[in-house]
Amino acid sequence: MQMGKACDETVTGEARVRIEGGLAHFPALAKEQAISFGDLATPDRQELTSLADQADFFGCEPSTDIARPDARTYTVGLTIDGRSREMRLAEPIRDPAMAKLVSVVRRLSKQHPPTR
Amino acid sequence: MCMSTHRHSLHCILPPYILSKIAENGSPALRAMAMHSLMIDPTIRIVRASTAGPVTGDLARRRSAAGNLLVPSPLRTIRDAGGEPEAPGSVVVRREGEGPTGDIAVDEAYEGLGATFALFWEAYQRNSIDDAGLPLDATVHYDQDYDNAFWDGTQMVFGDGDGELFNRFTIALDVIGHELTHGVTEKEAGLAYFNQSGALNESISDVFGSLVKQKLLGQTADQADWLIGAGLLTSAVKGVALRSMKEPGTAYDDPVLGKDPQPGHMDDFVRTNQDNGGVHINSGIPNRAFYLAAMTIDGNAWDRAGRIWYNALLDPNTRANTDFAGFARVTIDVAGRLHGTDSAETTAVAEAWTTVGVI
Repeated sequence: MQMGKACDETVTGEARVRIEGGLAHFPALAKEQAISFGDLATPDRQELTSLADQADFFGCEPSTDIARPDARTYTVGLTIDGRSREMRLAEPIRDPAMAKLVSVVRRLSKQHPPTR
Repeated sequence: MCMSTHRHSLHCILPPYILSKIAENGSPALRAMAMHSLMIDPTIRIVRASTAGPVTGDLARRRSAAGNLLVPSPLRTIRDAGGEPEAPGSVVVRREGEGPTGDIAVDEAYEGLGATFALFWEAYQRNSIDDAGLPLDATVHYDQDYDNAFWDGTQMVFGDGDGELFNRFTIALDVIGHELTHGVTEKEAGLAYFNQSGALNESISDVFGSLVKQKLLGQTADQADWLIGAGLLTSAVKGVALRSMKEPGTAYDDPVLGKDPQPGHMDDFVRTNQDNGGVHINSGIPNRAFYLAAMTIDGNAWDRAGRIWYNALLDPNTRANTDFAGFARVTIDVAGRLHGTDSAETTAVAEAWTTVGVI
């Protein structure tokens, strides 16, 4: 089922990320970025969906990790086919699938900045 | 002689240097007894412990006091994450004592860890982050387009930057020093990473990060640029660094990054819920205090000004919740103990904190 969902090009949704912390505070970068699945190429959409499944994003326990000095905290939100969840994750993210998911959301949101 | 009549007499009366000679040159039976005695002799055990592994801080200090200074090794290991968000990276690419790899991020991380280790050892006789010879590990090429570097409690982690706004994060030596100093602060005062204590934590990392660079370059206080992260911003960014200790708030003013938000005086202290209560913002105030003190004291900033700040970080009166004013009082007390209450150094420290409005 998971792989089937990952390969389904009709899957709809949105990814959001807000990054806090880091080596310095840049006022203009400290705001939420959101990307609609409709703006993503099919492989990117499939990768996000697959990684969300691998990381059990919608079912896992909330993270209680607190960011160490200069490490970032990510507030990641995903809405996929009606399921929606927001999680706060502090670096270093130990679960490889979750770390990869956050990395992909971060990079895609940067590649698809808001048009407004 | 006693060796022929008492089974364990070697241990009783012979000094270790004679035992060593017997162990090298005696008959098989005598060599065995000598070796046994050497193994159980507590003084020899200390020697063995100190030469078999990292030299601990206390032992290093005793040797130093006795004029027998054995310079400890930083024990560096650099790993490559290969663009994956994993730390530690899966591949070890450079170990202590190995030559340059040709990978600039690997080699900069290696040299930066070494320079930071050298500052703390040579200026303050501190043996690594924990003052007990903790090996220094780093992971480079972390994730993709990753604009950050951080200390995760066991190692340094460096991104390569996105190439648009940021260059690789190993490019700035003071950033490497900054991150390792977070480890030192964690082991000592344990300053809570929130509000003023967090800004103080950040400032202390900036102070020693800058001193790592100044010492390596052989710069006196008036020769230093007092910038944190010079070279980190690409040429597309309107800015020179992440922060300026000399003139907080002037490091960058860019359409994408925004304007450097750091204040240099308590009148401009920023109250915010962002950035853990402004830890990277309000650190400009104690940063400028250190700059002013170092400039007035003059000479190499890592010598007297740095020593005062270092001792203050280790002082029992600096605690997890210490604020700017509390730390100011500790630095003034430390300066008085080191140089005298009426000394030029103590006056310079007090005036610096007054100038930035903390006391």
